[in-house]
Amino acid sequence: MPVPWEALIPFGLLTSMFAAAGTLLNTSKRAQNQGKPVRYKIDTWDDMMMDRDKRLTGHVRGQSANPIAPEGFETSSSWYTEAQ
Amino acid sequence: MSTYQNSSTASQPYSDPTPLPANVPKVNELGVTSAPLKSAAFFLGAYCKEYNEDFMLCKQENRDPGHCLKEGRRVTRCATELITKMRENCLEQFDAHWNCLELNNQEYYPCRKPERTLNKCMFEKLGLTKAIPGSPKGQKAIHEVEKPVFTTVQR
Repeated sequence: MPVPWEALIPFGLLTSMFAAAGTLLNTSKRAQNQGKPVRYKIDTWDDMMMDRDKRLTGHVRGQSANPIAPEGFETSSSWYTEAQ
Repeated sequence: MSTYQNSSTASQPYSDPTPLPANVPKVNELGVTSAPLKSAAFFLGAYCKEYNEDFMLCKQENRDPGHCLKEGRRVTRCATELITKMRENCLEQFDAHWNCLELNNQEYYPCRKPERTLNKCMFEKLGLTKAIPGSPKGQKAIHEVEKPVFTTVQR
């Protein structure tokens, strides 16, 4: 007896669209974070440290274990320009 | 850069034009970012304890940035020394631990294995141990517990 396989096409389409959207979103988030998982529960301390990382390496997720800071680091802090 | 630069359209990063006074000795700033710093945190606490405490007590007296410059320079020098020593002696374990931290939202609990190797290397080569101040006295500190309750996978 012929099985109505055409009726399962919409289910297959829905599943694959969910999978594709999820994968694309995940890939996009990881690409924005240099291949690492997204950081969550970021408090003010982490915000400050990530801003410091950006001044040191150029990207908020960039890391470096170099003990000496690069050239312009000492004068690149905009902390004093912020409103009190 | 004495004129106003709108940060959203500026082509260069902000650079403070005011020069450092001539009577302030120059010390190179620490170039370590957040993850390696978090990895080395307890060793910094053990190695640079006196300088850190000096600085904090000085800041408690007066929060003006110009008041504690000398103590701040000492802290920076001590931290740079320790990071250099760590890199000379335990570079692999140090790198492994902070890379693990970066992949786990910079939290300690998923990275106990690399942490144990780092602690072992630091103890053998430099004699520094990690001690968590304020951990309950009768029990083991959380980084020494063999089977912790909270791990990456729910038990």
